[in-house]
Amino acid sequence: MKPRPPTGRRLANLVVSLSAGASALIGIVILFWITIIVVIRGFGALNLAFFTQMPTPPGVGGGGLANAIVGTLVLTMVATLLALPLGLLAGIYLAEFGGEARAADYSRFSANVLMGMPSIIVGVFAYAMVVVPLGHFCGYAGGLALAILMLPVVTRTTEDMLRLVPNTLREAALALGAPRWRVILAVVFRAAKAGLITGTLLAVARVSGETAPLLFTALNSPYMMTSLGQPTPNLPVTIFNYAMSPYPDWQQKAWGASLLITGGVLALTLLTRYILGERKR
Amino acid sequence: MKSLSATLALPITAGLDETKATEDTLTATLGDLKIIASQLNFFYGDQQALFDNNLEIARNRVTAIIGPSGCGKSTHIRIYNRIYELYHDQRASGQIILDGQNILDPSYDVMELRRKVGMIFQKPTPFPMSVFDNVAYGLKMHYRLRRGELADRVEEALSRAAIWDEVKDVLRNPGTALSGGQQQRLCIARALAVEPEVLLMDEPTSAIDPIASSRIEKLINDLRSTYTIVIVTHNLQQAARVSDFTAFFYQGHIVEFGPTQKIFTNPVNEQTEAYITGRFG
Repeated sequence: MKPRPPTGRRLANLVVSLSAGASALIGIVILFWITIIVVIRGFGALNLAFFTQMPTPPGVGGGGLANAIVGTLVLTMVATLLALPLGLLAGIYLAEFGGEARAADYSRFSANVLMGMPSIIVGVFAYAMVVVPLGHFCGYAGGLALAILMLPVVTRTTEDMLRLVPNTLREAALALGAPRWRVILAVVFRAAKAGLITGTLLAVARVSGETAPLLFTALNSPYMMTSLGQPTPNLPVTIFNYAMSPYPDWQQKAWGASLLITGGVLALTLLTRYILGERKR
Repeated sequence: MKSLSATLALPITAGLDETKATEDTLTATLGDLKIIASQLNFFYGDQQALFDNNLEIARNRVTAIIGPSGCGKSTHIRIYNRIYELYHDQRASGQIILDGQNILDPSYDVMELRRKVGMIFQKPTPFPMSVFDNVAYGLKMHYRLRRGELADRVEEALSRAAIWDEVKDVLRNPGTALSGGQQQRLCIARALAVEPEVLLMDEPTSAIDPIASSRIEKLINDLRSTYTIVIVTHNLQQAARVSDFTAFFYQGHIVEFGPTQKIFTNPVNEQTEAYITGRFG
């Protein structure tokens, strides 16, 4: 029997590897495209006034987004303060106590569902829970919405990171007569430290640019926030408003704000890579 | 010594005629008993791993547990400090009398049990903290100590584990940075620090090099007068070198138990003899 000529196989191989390579390239190109345009268009908007001054009416020029920057930092912080302890404890339950129990399965499943939940729905939920009873938009509702988005990420990362800690370490600590909570806090957490910090930073990065949940909750404001009980200025919604406006100076600010958020998320991501790298060494 | 005859009257035993004589001499040689395990059964889920184990551990002596892989040696000693309770599907029945009290009684304080009965594992398990803190961890948990006392007790424990001279200048370095043999001696120091009465050693030298192993054997020799030591080992020469008494396990049964010298030179049971002479296992 004569072997089949290799032309067909070679051609198929070429087609598959070329299309796979091209698809990968397209992904990278899009990322770079967005980044480069944001940098080019946004860089001009970033100056000292952008960080320190309040917004100006369209056409006036100058001014900055100090209020939105502060607002976004505060909202992210509120969300982290709410979600971090809950998420850590839930992760501890899943990894250390839940085991194969049905309750653990349910909460793991709900965390996964919550993780894939469209953020706008979370926003509507916070709207119904906080904004409607209070009768006005406020920072608390925004912090709550962001916290709900963070919670499953923190929970699942905590569980995964704690599960990476070998049981031999738990046994060694228990064998010294340590109670379970001391084993977890002093030994297991320490062993999983890098992973836990990474998970938290990634969760922060994930919510810091969220817009949809804030539209229904914190809304936005042209003033410096004085309390979380009022509409709270923030970068994502500011980008939305300014980018949609017909005024070139506002559009310019939207580019600046985009660059700031993109840069912030990138910095957090690089920081997590650095922390994980340190651990491996 | 009813339980001992039960031990030797297992289905797979041979040489029952000699049993009676052995029993009387053994009672005399064992002397003061620290631990009496009787009718121990152990289950991994539905799978029974130990069958009616009866064993007497002499005070301030070294008892070796030998037998082929998977015969239940580690499982047996993991009941002595109830470390198996970490896993929900593992279950033990029977009695282990330590100084007159049944430690398997649920009302027995498991933390105090583990302070009295220390454990050294196959793989060195230094905690992710400094050499000093590794030893101080258990101390701080069980004793209220002033800072100076703590340092003294840490030094004492490290000296007793024959590692002080090697680590006294690196007490602040991470315990994980030590060599494998040093890590194992650090773990021994950590266990000694809380002033246990019994030391369980689960193949303590199988993961470290021969020179480090011989150091640990020497250490066991130094400790034998103060502590009751139970050592599980795959290394028959090691059992012969360090132990006063030896128990031979096979398929979850204790096949033969007696003075080490007798087990190694003149075993009663055919299976023991076959194992000792290297015909199986």
